[in-house]
Amino acid sequence: MSNKTEKIIRLSISYLILLVAVTIVIYPLLWVIGSSFNPGQSLSGSTMFPENPTIKHYSSLFDIEKSNYVLWYLNSMKISLITMVFAVISVAFTGYAFSRYRFIGRKNGLLTFLVLQMIPNFAALIAIFVLANRTGLLDSHAGLILIYVGGQIPMNTWLMKGYLDTIPKELDESARMDGAGHLRIFWQIIMPLSKPIIAVVALFSFIAPFGDFILARIMLRSEEKFTMGVGLYELVSKQFGNEFTTFAAGSVLIAIPITILFLSFQKYFISGLTAGGTKG
Amino acid sequence: MKKSLILLFMLIASIALLVACGPDREETTPVKTDETTTETETGEAETAEEPAKPEKLIVWEDTDKSAALKPAIESFEKEYGIKVEFKELGMADKMREQLRLDGPSGTGADVVTLPHDQIGQVVTEGLIQEIEVSDEVLSTFSESAVTAQKYDGKLYGLPKATETPVFIFNKALMPEAPETMDEVYAFSTDFTDGKKFGFLALWDNFYFAHGVIGGMGGYVFQENDGALDRDDIGLNNDGAVAGAEYIQKWYAEGLFPKGIIGESGGSAKDGLFNEGKVASVMDGPWAFQSMKDAGIDIGVAAMPTLPNGEHMKTFMGVKGWHVSAFTEHAYWSTKLVEWLTNEENAKIRFELTQEIPPVTTLIADPIIADNEGAKAVALQSQYAVPMPNIPEMGEVWGPAASALQTIATGKAEPKAAMDDAVKNIKTNIETNHPSK
Amino acid sequence: MMNSNVTTKHRKNAGLLSIIPGFGQFYNKQFVKGIIFLVLTIAFFSSFSQTLNWGFWGLITLGEIPLLDHSIFLLIDGIIALLVAIIGLGIYAFNIYDAYNNGKKRDEGFLLNSVREQYHNLLDNGFPYLMISPGFLLLIFVVIFPIIFVILLSFTNYDLYHSPPAKLVDWVGIQNYIDIFKLDLWRSTFFGVLGWTIVWTFGATTLQVAIGVFLAVVINQKDLKGKAFFRTILILPWAVPAFVSILIFSGMFNESFGVVNTQILSMLGIDAIPWMTEELWTRFALILIQSWLGFPFIFAMTTGVLQSIPEELYEAANVDGASISQKFRGITLPMVLYATAPILITQYTFNFNNFNVIFLFNGGGPAIPGQNAGGTDILISWIYQLTMTSGQYGKAAAITMLLSLIVVVVALWQFKRTNSFKEEDMM
Repeated sequence: MSNKTEKIIRLSISYLILLVAVTIVIYPLLWVIGSSFNPGQSLSGSTMFPENPTIKHYSSLFDIEKSNYVLWYLNSMKISLITMVFAVISVAFTGYAFSRYRFIGRKNGLLTFLVLQMIPNFAALIAIFVLANRTGLLDSHAGLILIYVGGQIPMNTWLMKGYLDTIPKELDESARMDGAGHLRIFWQIIMPLSKPIIAVVALFSFIAPFGDFILARIMLRSEEKFTMGVGLYELVSKQFGNEFTTFAAGSVLIAIPITILFLSFQKYFISGLTAGGTKG
Repeated sequence: MKKSLILLFMLIASIALLVACGPDREETTPVKTDETTTETETGEAETAEEPAKPEKLIVWEDTDKSAALKPAIESFEKEYGIKVEFKELGMADKMREQLRLDGPSGTGADVVTLPHDQIGQVVTEGLIQEIEVSDEVLSTFSESAVTAQKYDGKLYGLPKATETPVFIFNKALMPEAPETMDEVYAFSTDFTDGKKFGFLALWDNFYFAHGVIGGMGGYVFQENDGALDRDDIGLNNDGAVAGAEYIQKWYAEGLFPKGIIGESGGSAKDGLFNEGKVASVMDGPWAFQSMKDAGIDIGVAAMPTLPNGEHMKTFMGVKGWHVSAFTEHAYWSTKLVEWLTNEENAKIRFELTQEIPPVTTLIADPIIADNEGAKAVALQSQYAVPMPNIPEMGEVWGPAASALQTIATGKAEPKAAMDDAVKNIKTNIETNHPSK
Repeated sequence: MMNSNVTTKHRKNAGLLSIIPGFGQFYNKQFVKGIIFLVLTIAFFSSFSQTLNWGFWGLITLGEIPLLDHSIFLLIDGIIALLVAIIGLGIYAFNIYDAYNNGKKRDEGFLLNSVREQYHNLLDNGFPYLMISPGFLLLIFVVIFPIIFVILLSFTNYDLYHSPPAKLVDWVGIQNYIDIFKLDLWRSTFFGVLGWTIVWTFGATTLQVAIGVFLAVVINQKDLKGKAFFRTILILPWAVPAFVSILIFSGMFNESFGVVNTQILSMLGIDAIPWMTEELWTRFALILIQSWLGFPFIFAMTTGVLQSIPEELYEAANVDGASISQKFRGITLPMVLYATAPILITQYTFNFNNFNVIFLFNGGGPAIPGQNAGGTDILISWIYQLTMTSGQYGKAAAITMLLSLIVVVVALWQFKRTNSFKEEDMM
């Protein structure tokens, strides 16, 4: 009996907390969505529930005659997807190597990976530019993708390694007994068990290029190669331009694919980080 | 043993590598040198006699302004048979950034457009080059616009358009532009109620505040014989302080809301005006279009006179056309700059982009004289001063804005704040700009 | 012992011979391997000798003739040459090592591996290297290379008045580092900014971690319904690019017209709060915003970890009659912190240098009378404005390096403390 009342109280408090959290999280987002349907242009004039909603900001974004947004959107999708694929592959490799093999330079390699991501490198943009210029990768999506993939490696390798460490080594060893080669163990035994972390890495490496404007702004020169992030940034940074509602519409468009991606990977987050392996 | 042996070999190997590049250096360097010197030499030679025409020239134009460029380059192509390509780039920062990177790589433009207050800096960095044009050409422009294109007494470009803040009013709320700020003040005290505002200006931003401070007698750098004296800063003289006190009055009495202070102040102000909640604002000609788009019937006039009877000494910005230091075709690039700024093309520019060219004959032309906005800008320009274009100006904006913001929020007394600002500016200049 | 003369013969000969790559292998009668090394070497020199010559010359001199030599580009070419040379030297060292090792085997009387065996050997021992090398190469050029650039830049006098192409940049040793400590500009403001930077780093990060962990634990309760729904909603702030969210917040917190003051607070009967003009409130708003931006990440991580905690632990605790908070402190929190420690530390270091949120929200403002830093400027944003607005690139690089050094040292020290590096399983 007391157990039951305790449970009810506990759950009620939990729901209450979650309700507050959800409100706080969703309020600014709803507000952005609301703004994007406002007829005016300004921030201060927008309301969450506009009296006469309009889709003109969306249609102006999608108007191929006047804006390149459709093109930029496709560019962003393309870049993010390719980055995701390559990042997942290389991170799976590096994570696996660090988790399963003991080799010279392993410990230092891991430490280096950690340290690298702490150094702010906005002063180094010019270096990246010149490197790209020297290798002929300036103003090309390939160059940008390479940079994004490289940038995703340190952090995600750590995540991947941490997860792989929880998969019992006995699995590999018994497979090796059965005569499986390195690649087969990696590909047929470890990878299927790593779906959740792969989902996480995939999500990370998709989000990063999608929201980036700093690197893309340096690397991409021709308008038809821009990404959504650059386009949006240019929209707000126009010195005296004030097109907040259009900006809001663009933001909503950016958030949609990421949300969808997250929803479709949700299953793996929930299935848990070690659900697939036998617990050690 | 094993390790030390390897180390030894690595040492030998690296020495071998370093030695190897010693002699080769002589071989590599001259090759590179030759290439580049020919470029520079021809570039200089070209100014003397009419050199061979290049196949094409590349122009970087400000965003959304290429409409005015197209007819001009078409006629240029017809006249000289040189193809001209253009690309739009944000003038405020992107133009300079890309010139820095693309110029030396050989992928930059031949002709670029920049706001004149960046000239000192880009010249110091060696991004644009001095140009030679005849006095005849120079005399077509207003004197102050040409001065703005000069740095250290040398000419670095030709003026394309000028702009300066003016008084913009919503005709539905304010039928006529007042003559004096006292009238504006009286109107504003009646009109402002926390939801509606009689007059708004971003006076916590030094660009706009200079109108008041300069009008009251302050100045940034004293001008001596056409050169700006970086050691003589007049932002805390009596006039400047009086200006700062005047500014503080507007905030302290609640005529300017706190929401227009700081980074996002500009968009708050624009938003309110476009919703019809503000009777008048101080803003530049770039704002006209979005106001009209928002359906506001605007009137434009020169800034009303200050309480001391003086006109506001607003900052004038001059956009100019410049020849890149990296071009191989300096002669033809200069020709193109002249072409782009000649009377005919200046007129086209005004018609298509509403930018006001400082071409003296045009200012009297009915096309500008009958245009309310253009007339107001031209009128206000008479009282305006060009923004200082020496690199030291970069040290002024931050401290000045900080001082103005603390004045606006009432955290500091005008005199003390302006003294502090000047002190900071001076230290920054001494630290970052070694005296010549 | 008696043939000690003989025992070292092969290894010495092979090692010495392989000063010319491949010859040591030939000596060991491993011809295929030898040819591979030789070809690699020739290919390396024929394709990179230009790069190396030009690069090293540029790196040392930083150019000799203004307008002609672009010092910064030369510096970058030099770093590229340096990286190429290091990779080359690595292969070279391996060549010697390999010849020496096989010579040693011969000395000790072992039979050398056949080509087929070598291939298998390579696959076995080399497999981890093979796996990390594509990623690692990319890392070198995309991440390490720019960092080397900043490090080297901090030893040059690159500023507005030494800007290529007009002027050359020169090496100035540690002058920038000395100057930083001599600047008058700093003294008055430095400690104030440092104090807030520390408060900010710990305040904002701890709050975002606490919220993330707490919400993950709440949602993870077995009998709670709608897990998927809540998780989806709570992850949303992550889906919007940060710069977009920050700009939107900056509008929402506008003192006179933002919704926070005009709607939310007025609804609660609270007077308008000076979010943008009072230092304290701007700081408060910034911490809240960063929490909003940062907690979903922690939330997602924790959710994952929570599900890997064996149910038996809780059952055992239940048998012992542990309360909810006891279970949380005794089981959940240690497990979560243990598993996510490295990530948590990187969150702190991230916020220490979180330029974007400070800069985009209110430009580091509000202004403080008599100070050249804004009320919410953290070290990185303050320094950025001090140096970059006046083109002090060399100094900016030096300060970046100093800040990075602080962060890295503190972080490494923390890593050591978390035991992440002691447990064989974690490592």
